Amino acid sequence: MALEVTLQAAGPIPLDLAFRVEPGQLLALVGHSGAGKTTVLRTVAGLWRPENGRVAVAGSIWLDSASGVNLPPHRRRVGVVFQDFALFPHLTAAQNVASAMLHMPKAERRAEAERMLGLANLHGLADRLPAQLSGGQQQRVALARALARCPDVLLLDEPFSAVDRATRERLHAEIIGLRAHLAMPVILVTHDVNEAQLLADRLVVIEKGRMVAEGVTGRVMSDPVALRALGLREAGATIAARIVAHEADGLTRLETSAGPLLLPRLDGVPGTWVRVRIMAHEVILARQAPQGLSALNILPGTVIEVKPGDGPGAFVQLRLGRDTILARVTRRSAQALGLAPGVDCFAILKSMAVACDQVGAGTDPADPDP
Amino acid sequence: MAVWALVRKVFGALGLAATLGLSALAAVAQDEPPIVAAAADLRYALSAIAAAFQAETGLGVTLNFGSTGDFARQIREGAPFQIFMAADESYVAALYRDGFTRDGGDLYAEGRIVVMVPQGSALAADENLDNLAAMLATGTLTRFAIANPEHAPYGLRAREALIHRGLWDALQPMLVLGENVGQAAQFALSGNAEGGIIALSLALAPEVGARGDFALIPADWHGPLLQRMVLLRHAGPEAEAFYAYIRSPAARAIMARYGFVLPGG
Amino acid sequence: MDWTALGLSLQLAGWTVIALLPVAVFGGRFLAYRSFGAKGLIETLVMLPLVLPPTVLGYYLLVAFGRNSPLGAFWQEMFGQPLAFSFPGLVLASIIFNLPFAIQPAQRGFEAVPIAVREAAQCCGMSPLRSLWQVELPLAWPGLMTAMVLAFAHTLGEFGIVLMVGGSIPGRTRTIAIAIYDRVQAFDNSAAATMSAVLVAISLVTIAATYWLSARVGRRLG
Repeated sequence: MALEVTLQAAGPIPLDLAFRVEPGQLLALVGHSGAGKTTVLRTVAGLWRPENGRVAVAGSIWLDSASGVNLPPHRRRVGVVFQDFALFPHLTAAQNVASAMLHMPKAERRAEAERMLGLANLHGLADRLPAQLSGGQQQRVALARALARCPDVLLLDEPFSAVDRATRERLHAEIIGLRAHLAMPVILVTHDVNEAQLLADRLVVIEKGRMVAEGVTGRVMSDPVALRALGLREAGATIAARIVAHEADGLTRLETSAGPLLLPRLDGVPGTWVRVRIMAHEVILARQAPQGLSALNILPGTVIEVKPGDGPGAFVQLRLGRDTILARVTRRSAQALGLAPGVDCFAILKSMAVACDQVGAGTDPADPDP
Repeated sequence: MAVWALVRKVFGALGLAATLGLSALAAVAQDEPPIVAAAADLRYALSAIAAAFQAETGLGVTLNFGSTGDFARQIREGAPFQIFMAADESYVAALYRDGFTRDGGDLYAEGRIVVMVPQGSALAADENLDNLAAMLATGTLTRFAIANPEHAPYGLRAREALIHRGLWDALQPMLVLGENVGQAAQFALSGNAEGGIIALSLALAPEVGARGDFALIPADWHGPLLQRMVLLRHAGPEAEAFYAYIRSPAARAIMARYGFVLPGG
Repeated sequence: MDWTALGLSLQLAGWTVIALLPVAVFGGRFLAYRSFGAKGLIETLVMLPLVLPPTVLGYYLLVAFGRNSPLGAFWQEMFGQPLAFSFPGLVLASIIFNLPFAIQPAQRGFEAVPIAVREAAQCCGMSPLRSLWQVELPLAWPGLMTAMVLAFAHTLGEFGIVLMVGGSIPGRTRTIAIAIYDRVQAFDNSAAATMSAVLVAISLVTIAATYWLSARVGRRLG
């Protein structure tokens, strides 16, 4: 049931890519606007045809330039969530969802549509028109509609860029919760690296129509080539943490595999797992545990690799407990501190450096079947 | 949304109606009264004759008035007329020669032209057109209406008369041309012209005559208006009956009332 | 008041609308969605009847329908009557000279359907025809209605082409506009005035309907 995609085109944007997504995996296509990410998505959906391409899902061929196969979108079992929702404005929420259920007998569609809306936290809104729903609600209807098709592939085209930040965080959480029930390959197109890092298993970084990096999220985010395309300030890593308690002075205490973490007040019941994105340029390194610092988070770790850049900077990859993080320091400091693979050091992180949208819902890393 | 559901039903009903097709319409035209294409000067006279015909026989005809030349053209293009009553026999001769008519037709009347002026016009109607000449000389005439000489016989004769009187060139810039002599009459009496040259039969009609004064123009100033009628190729029995009726004494009496000089007396 | 003439006008307008509805739907949709080299040319040709004088159109139509043309001769063979000077001939001519009124607003109506919505319909598994029926027409119908209303009203008012192609045959091709012309020539001003007033009333209703529909389109998409 895996999805395989290759495509080449000369225009309007020159494109040359190939990748594969396994069932249940979420692959994020990241890159700047105009890099070609949406074009790739549209190729998989059948809304665009490259000069040369091949799209195969679970053994059935949707597109093959070599043999002239090109199924139109309505003959591909694909679910698409569009950037601006693209709900049918004249139909209610339930009717929107039901219109993707053409494979079901008509009598059953309404009940099933209501059930899906319920799963998407839209109880009681089945008979509302899109104009009567908020942005977040509309996006959930769009998602329900895409899933109502029982698609072989789920495509999300910048689905959260049209909603406000608070709604976006909630939707992120729901996607993560939904992941467990999604058996098909999922492709997410986004220009928001933060979002990609929080949600995706694998990343493909696209620059000017070419793949500059591809692989597991963590590894891509520490790849300098990828980071140069995304912007070096995007360098960061995520670690899993569990909420322990909310303290009286507005901080939340979390527990990571390397030690305690104090962050500004988070939403969440103690016991909940989260993923925290730690930006590389916010991490200070020290050979000894420092004293008298204002920073509250000092975690012990071991250097895995030091990657000098072209300029004065260097990326240091660090193991913290079971997680890996990145730190961006000057080459001068790396040399002065004698940072090399295997060396023990401490990572220092300001609590206030972590923004609330850098914390997303997570799963217990020890639980094999979340 | 409810409106769309209603609209959908309306569209569906229209679609159903559309399956009837246009050939149904084509078939309908079979049993209508025969159509007579008549020169515009016959409007009032022929309407009276048709009414008398209906009273006597119970049969109806459809009358169509226009310019002789226009009708001749339409007949050549297949217009569904059954009788053609022209204001000039040369058109009938041409149609007969080209096979559109049953025969050479019959002379039914000789027409006359008059100069007519509306109430209160600066122009006076006199049979020698002296007043017209005077107004032209002083430059006080603004508009004068005749039928179009190209395809209306009454317009052609009006031009001949004006040429004979030596007024044609001076009158050119002031001329208003009607599509047929009926329209010329309407222009002449509309108040926007000082007058015009129209058919005697129209001037004698109460609807027209009440609007102004007229004077007969000498017949030797122009070629004769020999008005000939003819049955067209596909004429049916009702058309034949009406054709015969027009030549009956009762119809001739009506024609005389409208100033038509009848052949044979 | 010449009721026959009014009846002819209404029938002519009615048949024109019926015939042009599928043309508006599929022609307007095609022009709205596709982009191709000859598109500008086709749009120009469609608009042509709008800017040409009716006499030019009338002349060409008469040439095309006359007994000497292939179409006219064929019609004469089939139905035993000429195409020119007949009501069916008027309907045919009316369909042609109303093309811009039918296609243009319909095209705008379909253009107003957001591309994303159409693509979403495809990605929901809808074939093009199902998408037309369930998604596009419900959204584009105000444009279609405007097209039909305009074509209806324009046909009621058409004079020059109807006169040239139809003649002025009472009971067959003498529409109300031509009947008014005839009544004026006959010095029957009261009849002319009555019929003119009726036409004005119908036109006002038509314009009001068009504005109401435009407002609906605006509200739906605003």
